[in-house]
Amino acid sequence: MKKLRVLLVDDEILIRQGFKQLFDWEAHDCQVVGEAADGMEALSQIDLLRPDLVIMDINIPVMNGLKVIQCSRMKYPEMAFVIVSGYDDFAYCREALRLKITDYILKPVNYEEFGSCIDNLKIALFQRQLPPEAAPSEERVIVSITRYLQEHLSEEVSLGVLSEEFHLSAQYISQLFKNEIGVNFLTYFTNIRMERAKTLLLSTALSIGEISEQLGFLDYRVFTKAFKKAEGVTPSQFRRDFLEVSK
Amino acid sequence: MLRMEIALFLVLAFVANTYYSAEKKFTQLHRTFSMLLMVVLLHLVFDGITVYTVNHLDTVPVFLNNTFHRLFIGTMILIFFLFYQYIAILVEEETGKPRRLDLSAGVYLVIAELGNMLLPIHYAVTPQGNYSDGIHVVFCYISVAFYFLLGTGLLLFNWRSIRKKEKMAILFACAVELIGTTLQAINHTWLISGLGITLITLAFYVILENPDILRAELTEQKMSMLYLKSQVNPHFLYNTLDTIRIQAQLNGDKQVAELLMHLVDFFRLSVKVDRPMVTLDDEMELLEAYMELMCYRYPELECTYDIDPELGGMQVPNFIMQPIVENSLVHGLKNKGYRGKVEISARRTGENQMEIAVRDTGSGFEPGKKDAVDKMLRCYARQPAKLTGNSIGILNVQKRIKLLCGREYGLWYTENDTGGVTAHMLLPLMEDGT
Repeated sequence: MKKLRVLLVDDEILIRQGFKQLFDWEAHDCQVVGEAADGMEALSQIDLLRPDLVIMDINIPVMNGLKVIQCSRMKYPEMAFVIVSGYDDFAYCREALRLKITDYILKPVNYEEFGSCIDNLKIALFQRQLPPEAAPSEERVIVSITRYLQEHLSEEVSLGVLSEEFHLSAQYISQLFKNEIGVNFLTYFTNIRMERAKTLLLSTALSIGEISEQLGFLDYRVFTKAFKKAEGVTPSQFRRDFLEVSK
Repeated sequence: MLRMEIALFLVLAFVANTYYSAEKKFTQLHRTFSMLLMVVLLHLVFDGITVYTVNHLDTVPVFLNNTFHRLFIGTMILIFFLFYQYIAILVEEETGKPRRLDLSAGVYLVIAELGNMLLPIHYAVTPQGNYSDGIHVVFCYISVAFYFLLGTGLLLFNWRSIRKKEKMAILFACAVELIGTTLQAINHTWLISGLGITLITLAFYVILENPDILRAELTEQKMSMLYLKSQVNPHFLYNTLDTIRIQAQLNGDKQVAELLMHLVDFFRLSVKVDRPMVTLDDEMELLEAYMELMCYRYPELECTYDIDPELGGMQVPNFIMQPIVENSLVHGLKNKGYRGKVEISARRTGENQMEIAVRDTGSGFEPGKKDAVDKMLRCYARQPAKLTGNSIGILNVQKRIKLLCGREYGLWYTENDTGGVTAHMLLPLMEDGT
């Protein structure tokens, strides 16, 4: 798996420095390739460096972060953006959601927790390059495994179960996740469950209990906890927030 | 007729008593009205006296009769000047345009008062009663007409920019001036000036100067001061604190970085006041951020949590934990030099309810204080909406629990056998959306 190339955009030098030095990029297979302090500089750096990921402050001089994302989106549809902002309000969130950013995190950034944001990104990048449909025999093993997981979200799937299903050693599969996606199996499985949860929360009227059942959680409180850990809000809050935004 | 003057005087004396004892904003309008009330009361006294003296021309010395008449007419002219002045200030407040007619109104007042003092007085004697007459009284009519024209002019010129209520008051005053004066001019013996003046003063009082309005103005002023105080841009605060935190972490000072992180968390969570209800987990997060900071400042302070994890997702009124704990610290543990313990627990106490307890090892209630607190929490609805004071925090918590959860829930205090107090909050088990 190749390293992710990261561009940091923030008008405060200290915040860029904090990101560069306080987060262990190496351990997360990432590499900071450039920095920008305002919107114009960000655009030219994006053109020059073609990073995989841009970490973007919203409130920056010359041209705001959302505008930069909007411009770059058209040219580089594959590029991932993570918004980091102190603007804890939904006007920005709404705009950001429309631009299909990968993640939205609030200042103050906890550098220890920033890793999960990178994990989500890796999974999103992997999902994006999945072939829509292919003959099972020609598929790469990891693609078959992830397809299997998608179809068995409501079951208690472990590395052991996968190993039996695919006739491979558990250790090999574990390594496969690390190499191909860049995250471990459990992170991946929880992530796709949560993605499904979000889809169900927003597109259906199912109760939290029913959704947690569909995702294989025996106790919906465990689900609520896992969801809150991943998204920062409880499932019902997530649903309510989104309905408020779309009103 | 004397009886009417006495009745009017008593009514206005009552109004004046209410008005002067009310707390109010210090404005030109209210000052003018205060003065008006005083002059009208004085005027009614002279009115009553002259009603008597003018009908006893044989027994009362002419000098005394003249003096009282001059005082009676003099205060009347002053009253019409004050009516005009009040209307002018009102219009100025409404439109924001400065008053331009004050000089002419003032100059005329001086002329009219001089005329009233110096011109001779003549008395007319009729079977229906006596009254004063002549050039001296003509001055009085001219004064009314003059100030009537000024007032009506102001009203008509600014018709669109005056609010309905204020417009009504001015219109009423002008109408009474017009009708009352016309009637008096036709029937000299009616002597209804006092009645008209009282009516106008009462109208101003009821429409624009009553205690409810004064109180509302005052509260608004206090609130806007509080509001202004809280106008420090929170984003500036977070961002700056965050920069300092990153610098600390870059310098290798993890402890300072952590403290700042708690502080930013506390601010960020506590300004989220838009939701009336939050989960217990959210409340605990805010409380933990607060207690981390307090425990760091006072290392001998200790805080333990015993929260039933099943209750974490329950809905509770926003911002109820921190004021209770802060109260324990400030009124209990502070007296012991912040040496001691706060134990926070939440457990299920019935099919549909839970109890949150905040137990401290502080100094406990001072003698008599417990009864006062009990009474305040029991009669929470009757407590005035104080804007200051130490107990406002817990009273506020009590009010919100009662309002948002129901009257059977609420906050109360008990004393511990081992010293210190325990705050209990009984809350319903309400789940979020499911």
